[in-house]
Amino acid sequence: MFDEKLKRLFSPNSIAVIGASDSFDKLGYHVMKSLVKGNYKFPIYPVNHSAQNIWGIKAYPSILNIPQPVDLAVIVVPAKSVPDVLYECGKKGVSGVVLITAGYKEIEAEEGKILEDEIKRIASEFEIPIIGPNTFGFVNLTDSVNASFTYEFSLIKKGGVTLISQSGGFCHICGFLAMEERMGMAKLMSLGNRVNIDFPEAVRYFMEKDEATKVIALYIEGIDEPKRLFKTIDSIKNKKPVVAYKAGKGEKGDEASRFHTGSLAGNYRIWKGAIRQANILEVNSIEELIDTAKVIDLCPFLKGNRVAVLSSQAGPGIIAADTLLLSGMVLSKFSSQTQENINKLLPPFAIRTNPVDMGPAWYSPETILNILKVVADDENTDGIIFIAIFASANLNLTKDMEKIIEGMEAFKKPIIACLNAPQGIWDEEIKILDGKKGIAIIHTPERAARAMASLWEISRLKD
Amino acid sequence: MEALEFLKKEGFPILESRITISEETAAAHAKVIGFPVTLKISSKTIIHKTEFNGVKTLLLNEKEVKSAFNEIVHTFNILGIVRDLDGIIVQKMGRGLEFIAGVYMDRQFGHVIMFGQGGIYVEALKDVTFRPIPITRKDAKAMIEELNIWKIITSPRQKKINPAMIEDFLLKISDFVEKNNMIEEMDLNPVFISEEINICDARIKICSENS
Repeated sequence: MFDEKLKRLFSPNSIAVIGASDSFDKLGYHVMKSLVKGNYKFPIYPVNHSAQNIWGIKAYPSILNIPQPVDLAVIVVPAKSVPDVLYECGKKGVSGVVLITAGYKEIEAEEGKILEDEIKRIASEFEIPIIGPNTFGFVNLTDSVNASFTYEFSLIKKGGVTLISQSGGFCHICGFLAMEERMGMAKLMSLGNRVNIDFPEAVRYFMEKDEATKVIALYIEGIDEPKRLFKTIDSIKNKKPVVAYKAGKGEKGDEASRFHTGSLAGNYRIWKGAIRQANILEVNSIEELIDTAKVIDLCPFLKGNRVAVLSSQAGPGIIAADTLLLSGMVLSKFSSQTQENINKLLPPFAIRTNPVDMGPAWYSPETILNILKVVADDENTDGIIFIAIFASANLNLTKDMEKIIEGMEAFKKPIIACLNAPQGIWDEEIKILDGKKGIAIIHTPERAARAMASLWEISRLKD
Repeated sequence: MEALEFLKKEGFPILESRITISEETAAAHAKVIGFPVTLKISSKTIIHKTEFNGVKTLLLNEKEVKSAFNEIVHTFNILGIVRDLDGIIVQKMGRGLEFIAGVYMDRQFGHVIMFGQGGIYVEALKDVTFRPIPITRKDAKAMIEELNIWKIITSPRQKKINPAMIEDFLLKISDFVEKNNMIEEMDLNPVFISEEINICDARIKICSENS
């Protein structure tokens, strides 16, 4: 029952925006913009006391005046009006609500808590799942539903990463960086004050019911019953990989977190142990979260920790090798057959053992790709870091790579690539290559190496 | 002393010790236990024994035991707090690497187990790790491997320590607290680990509602 409602909430066949507006300084304007410009495919019903039309769409004075059924109601009216509006949503029989309005448990005044209890009561009377209050909303990229006040989230690439966050601000920075780093996302949402959809409910839904989600990323400040989240994850069969970023690590963070979304952050050292106990991979920066989630989404898992580094310039390859070794990985020792094949492709002007300096093949994209293929077949190698930095002579490398890779079978091992060039040079090719046939492109050699190590940790946790 | 007795009955490895109030019996106990021994005060009111000069280690013979005994009593006489003394414990001297283990009640997670590097730099190094109870063998293994001191446990010069033995020990603590959930806090400090595990001192706090 609840699962069916959550499905209608996240993939609705109609949406009412309560508090929709035509004026730019109202959140109701921006929610309408997100839905309309975000190419929502089903009916949108603006609800507004006085207007006839909003965003050129017929508006209604109340949700109860809408003749058709409504799956999702997005509420952006002031906090005090919310109980009445929510009651009407219940009467209307909506499947779910996104409650963007803030001013509840998270504020210092006592009335905030009273209002939130009232909302909780109405929600349970009508059994309505609610995202929020105190949220920017959610975005379902898979089905083009942008039920948030930030239209630009619709520009994120579609993919398999689902971000469940306690903070809207975190979703914004993560979403915008996801665009820069070409991380494909399925869903992103901030749970806000979590009236009845908390981390356990959301995680269970996306693990069990959402096919598009391949990996779940969590941003957690504090939750009141953390054991319930970990027990829920533990009880799910066929778990999807989970990465978590825990904030509120010091005492100040603890307090700040309570004022932010109404829950204490707790003792970080215990959280750290509990996260590990639940087979969740902890990350410690936004970049790490993005890199890790992205490679899990795009690459096959690792069967071991032996990595080959192939670099068209020696320096970046050495940096990648250093970082791998510091992260618990080892440099693979090629089989004699592989080494022989490499030696045929590369003249002895540079190091041909791992990390391989492909410098002598500078002018030949074909040779560079043949080396990649030979090493991908090496029985002693579990994953590859492939680095090519632009220099005028290798201008056509990525174009040729694109052509050759198009005709190839998908790699059975993870290939994490760094392709760095000045803006405007390899941009299009990088966009096309990223995510092709098991290749993930990560920004720098160090980050690529750390992402490989994280992928190994996740691969081990799976067993 | 009571906590140690209790843990001993529960099958925890306790470093052999006896309590006494006389110099002569202290020496006799030491002879039975085997040298070297440690003398330390037993007192409900004094928690930081070392600060009161209440611990004497590496006593090699009966003569040293007697003079250490008198020194401790003398200090307490001067301070005028000799009545806080329940007696003096004669304990076999712990050998091996020094660890701490414990159980705490967290407001979010309930009972959690802690394990880490012991010794006087505990606070500075913070080489400790936590898990909510109950733990599995996999958790116990991960806890040990997370510690910086793991590199010393596995160093080629340190052949005596079997990590599986430490895993068993942590599982036993987890199991013990699950079965006795009136325990609010438990401090095992220090715990010496070599080819065997020996708890040297312990404090147990019972939950006031249940006791």
